[in-house]
Amino acid sequence: MGEKFDIGYVFTFFPKLAGTLQTTLIIVGGALLTSLIVGFLVALPRLYKVPVLQRLSQLYASFFRGTPILIQLFLFYYGLPEILKLVNIDVSRAPVLVFVILTYGLHTGAYVSETIRSAVASVDRGQVEAAYSVGMSGYQAFTRIVMPQALAIAVPVLSNVILALLKDTSLAFSLGVMEMTGKSQTLAALTNHFVESYISLALIYLVISMVLERLLIILERRLLRHESRAADPFPVFRRERFRRIRQWFTRERSVRLREEAQ
Amino acid sequence: MIKLTGITKSFGRQQVLQGIDLQVEKGEVVVILGPSGSGKTTLLRCINYLERPNEGRIEIGDFEVDCGRASKKDIYALRGKTAMVFQHYNLFKHKTVLENVMEGLVIVQKMPKETARRRSVEVLEKVGLGEKLDAYPSMLSGGQQQRVGIARALALNPEVILFDEPTSALDPELVGEVLAVIRRIAKEGITMIVVTHEMGFARDVANHVVFMDGGVIVEEGAPRDIFNKPREERTKQFFKRIMPEPAYSI
Ligand SMILES: Nc1ncnc2c1ncn2[C@@H]1O[C@H](COP(=O)(O)OP(=O)(O)OP(=O)(O)O)[C@@H](O)[C@H]1O
Ligand SMILES: [Mg+2]
Repeated sequence: MGEKFDIGYVFTFFPKLAGTLQTTLIIVGGALLTSLIVGFLVALPRLYKVPVLQRLSQLYASFFRGTPILIQLFLFYYGLPEILKLVNIDVSRAPVLVFVILTYGLHTGAYVSETIRSAVASVDRGQVEAAYSVGMSGYQAFTRIVMPQALAIAVPVLSNVILALLKDTSLAFSLGVMEMTGKSQTLAALTNHFVESYISLALIYLVISMVLERLLIILERRLLRHESRAADPFPVFRRERFRRIRQWFTRERSVRLREEAQ
Repeated sequence: MIKLTGITKSFGRQQVLQGIDLQVEKGEVVVILGPSGSGKTTLLRCINYLERPNEGRIEIGDFEVDCGRASKKDIYALRGKTAMVFQHYNLFKHKTVLENVMEGLVIVQKMPKETARRRSVEVLEKVGLGEKLDAYPSMLSGGQQQRVGIARALALNPEVILFDEPTSALDPELVGEVLAVIRRIAKEGITMIVVTHEMGFARDVANHVVFMDGGVIVEEGAPRDIFNKPREERTKQFFKRIMPEPAYSI
């Protein structure tokens, strides 16, 4: 299929794809914001055991976690306007991006709400009581004591959710959104260099993922300052990595030496 | 002066406190003794409303609340006059030692930051942690953590500090340093209600000893009377169980 492989295309495609990075990031950013708000709101009734709302929020989480994102995209894009038409709201002129962001936002929100719920539940009740005993209100205890700790617990999990979101946005092209994956399809079809286009695309996703991961690790470390026993700001992580690298080299070398000796 | 009248508390069908009357004079140290499940913790928690009593009255100084119908404002007022030291310290894990103590002063009492810091440092020095201001709780020993808990309560300048078995989660060799701190602040005339199983400590710090069993106060009085010649059979049994050798002599 297509033309003979030519690595040069990987490099020519790269900046062209990167040009649509903005659309991808808008989807990720918009959906992330939506998901944090929705996730938080949906987590509340389950944390406070509000009778009916609690059931509803469970239902919401089951739906968005239990059905494929692609189906959700179609349902929202084709279904929502139909439903809104019944109540005389016309959204046929709304940009596709709105539906895409909404769907990804609600989808990711389901995971966010689960994460928030378990993170909040894992901050021990005793600290809340201590907060009350010094005279704080429920709101103060939540925002000053529970939330910062829950956040630190949630960030590593949220990192995974965010990376999953980034990768999932590649499905938005199925609604005709010209984000990176859509663009790579177009470039591939135009030039008949499919593999190069996908390699280029994979590289971009990889780079963004790595940058995001790095940023999230820094955030996580900041939030978890109170957990580290050492004063050393780059504790185990760095030292451990150096040790591994050194180990790897020395092992390689000793294998090679042994082979040479034989 | 603190006065409790007819405090009752039930969990479901189990009545854990069956009408507690207790009076504590200003500057007094009251030690509450009693077997497990007798309602000691529940009583302390009722005094600062971590547990809502079903009925009864709580008076602290000229503040007075009818527990049956306490408003939010009453609850905050009550908590403003009491402070609690917990068995498991319950420090704010994401805050430094200094921040743990300052938190209530700044957030609840609205003290200016600088004043709060000075007050906190002063109290932390008093409990022997002047060197640990910027440490996080996870870096401290149990004894040090509990001393932060005491400093946090003390800094609030409450009318009474409630201690719920402050040393029972500690390794034996760390109990002494915490008891020493409590002794020291007792000498300063701070009113305290202490639930403890440390009999030696109870004997020489208490002004007044209360023995509880089954949700009622079985007997109370001066330590020398309670320890040396308990009147009630249940009290005698209790002492016999925890101190096989009748070591009570003064
Ligand atoms: N939140 C609760 N829900 C239901 N029952 C409870 C609750 N808290 C305490 N109880 C019950 O109330 C009774 C008294 O408990 P409490 O903790 O006040 O006893 P205690 O005298 O402090 O005992 P210990 O010496 O073991 O700490 C116990 O039977 C306990 O099971
Ligand atoms: Mg108890």
